[in-house]
Amino acid sequence: MKRFLPLLILALLAAASILLAQSPNQATLRLPAGDKPVSMTTQNGQPYFAADEVVTALGGTIARDANGFRVTVGTSVAAFAPDSRFGVIRDDLIEMPAPPVVIDGKPYVNWQFFQGFLSRASDQEVLWDGSTRVLTIRPQQHNAVGVQVSVANIQGISKTVITLTAPTDYQIIKEQGAYTVRFKAPIRAPFVEQAFEDANVAKVVFAGNDLKIVLTAEDVAGDAYKLDNPFRIILDLRKGAVAPLGVVPPSGPQKPVDLPGIHTIVIDPGHGGKEVGAIGPGGLMEKDATLAVCRKLADALSNKLKARVVLTRTDDSVVSLDQRTAIANQYHADLFLSVHMNAAIVKGAKGSETYFLSADASDELAKKAAETENASAKAAQQPAGASDLKLILWDLAQQEYLSESSQLAKSIQVELNGVTGVTGRGVKQAPFKVLVGATMPAALVEVAFITNPEEEAKINSAEFQNVVVDALTRAVEKYKTEYETRIGVIQPAPAAPVAPATTTTPKATTTTAPATTTTAAATRTGT
Amino acid sequence: MRKTAVVVLLLALVAGACKKKQLSTNLNVENKVAVRSVTLYFEAPDMLLAAETRNVALPENHAGAMSAVVRELFKGSANTSIPRIFPGDTVVRGAYLLPDGTAFVDLGGATLTNGWGTGSHEELMATYSVVQTITTNFPETKRVRILINGTPAETLAGHINIGRALTPNAAYVR
Repeated sequence: MKRFLPLLILALLAAASILLAQSPNQATLRLPAGDKPVSMTTQNGQPYFAADEVVTALGGTIARDANGFRVTVGTSVAAFAPDSRFGVIRDDLIEMPAPPVVIDGKPYVNWQFFQGFLSRASDQEVLWDGSTRVLTIRPQQHNAVGVQVSVANIQGISKTVITLTAPTDYQIIKEQGAYTVRFKAPIRAPFVEQAFEDANVAKVVFAGNDLKIVLTAEDVAGDAYKLDNPFRIILDLRKGAVAPLGVVPPSGPQKPVDLPGIHTIVIDPGHGGKEVGAIGPGGLMEKDATLAVCRKLADALSNKLKARVVLTRTDDSVVSLDQRTAIANQYHADLFLSVHMNAAIVKGAKGSETYFLSADASDELAKKAAETENASAKAAQQPAGASDLKLILWDLAQQEYLSESSQLAKSIQVELNGVTGVTGRGVKQAPFKVLVGATMPAALVEVAFITNPEEEAKINSAEFQNVVVDALTRAVEKYKTEYETRIGVIQPAPAAPVAPATTTTPKATTTTAPATTTTAAATRTGT
Repeated sequence: MRKTAVVVLLLALVAGACKKKQLSTNLNVENKVAVRSVTLYFEAPDMLLAAETRNVALPENHAGAMSAVVRELFKGSANTSIPRIFPGDTVVRGAYLLPDGTAFVDLGGATLTNGWGTGSHEELMATYSVVQTITTNFPETKRVRILINGTPAETLAGHINIGRALTPNAAYVR
């Protein structure tokens, strides 16, 4: 027995060292400065990393308080709590596949926390390779061009906007029932395939450097052009258009002419498709009532104000809230009006309300979206990289829009009070999603309460709809005159006639459109 | 005897080294319950949110207490003539507070999941009844973010932006 004891001890030590080596509690943290060991654990198949070790390696700190942990790297701060799979950075969420865990007082998080934090805080990316147990944190690889696609159906034309993170050469090829956009640079798409609920565009498929727009019918075709800042390729696709197969020659960009005053108005009929909105006790759906009123309103505004009027939807289709604002921004609208019917649990609720955006509802994300949708001449003149200046200008512009939106809302409410005979509800502010990010005066009108049987019956009648349309047209016309007088496009009327013989009618003076006006811009000269 | 002791000691050392570390997540560590007076906000006949207080047994941990308070809110007003704002099938999946003062309230239920068809006013009252109730009862909460089925959502019913955390707004309260 004595002879075998050293052997037994050796065997036990060897077994222990093998078991320890296989114990899954260490990984390698790969940083540009070099490799470091990092503690990790696996819970329910999810890899977790010691947050304090990773944060310290990044030169940051981690602090605990009553509710969770606060991570600081440089000037960026993120927070997470052990009972939530969402962390937070500024106003943004960091989603993790599972909530963090605390082991012996140390917080462990999934690598997705660092991915969410560092991609926003310091333009770094985080990669986890489970086979080699290496957690890599490195600067974002920017050689691939990011691509995003949106489709908005505007008066039967499917405006397909391909937004790229950097300019790149491309070729558009017309195929049977599809268009292929072939990029020279490698592209990074957010999806392999995306379906659209659209009359002309069925889906978009990414394969290699190709983006294929699959159409709903053979006779769908259209024009393509590009816009800069940010770089966008736009295809206006419609039914009944004929296009030969093969490479599509590029056409000139259709930049709207920047004239002061109100020339383009976007009217937004609330809801649509499966998003029916509120339903009245008699079964009237908000989506149908808003479309009926908005169609009439578009005609009235177009005829009376000679403005270009764009509807965000012309049929019973689903249009996302972001898309509605994006349409207004892409058309460089001078005014945006969203039309809704109200609902309340309180019996007998009646009357109109007009909303504009609450002051704190606009945010950094909205700014980014608006920059993408509306590369206005003003924004284009900003020097590249002047992000602080851009943010200040954005804030100033938002303040101006809010002030103008308030005037627009007041003008609408005054006219609608006369229609419904209810004056108590008035102008209000609320964080309406459809108004966030609109880069123009914008308001949302609640015409009447569809939940009130009397008002539902009125809303459903052509007579009442016509009265509402007249009131809204008067309101927009008044606001337009006031606004254009404020900015000096229209000369203010003389204070009082000195003598009847010398009185002149106030004359509208409009800026002449440049020679390069497109069809849409040409309508502006008739103001 | 000494040999046996050495072997046992070694085995104990090896076993100790291989032992999995004990987890101690701080979620619901202590489920102590205390009766507290809570303030709930319901829509009054004048179409503004009005406060109503009642005594509710609440767990001491934040996550449990916040969920319990929102569940109490969803039960509706003690005044039976005041209808409930949220759809009857709405459930509270969870709630928690982050260190920066952002409370998350995770809601679910068939109506919110499939699309709630209602107008702006009712949605505004519903959204802010939660925001007002949470921030009033948990003063360390500065803002409230509403999630649907554990994920961020744009709106509850197509109008009011819940894509970001909301702060209480006195304009909606009586």
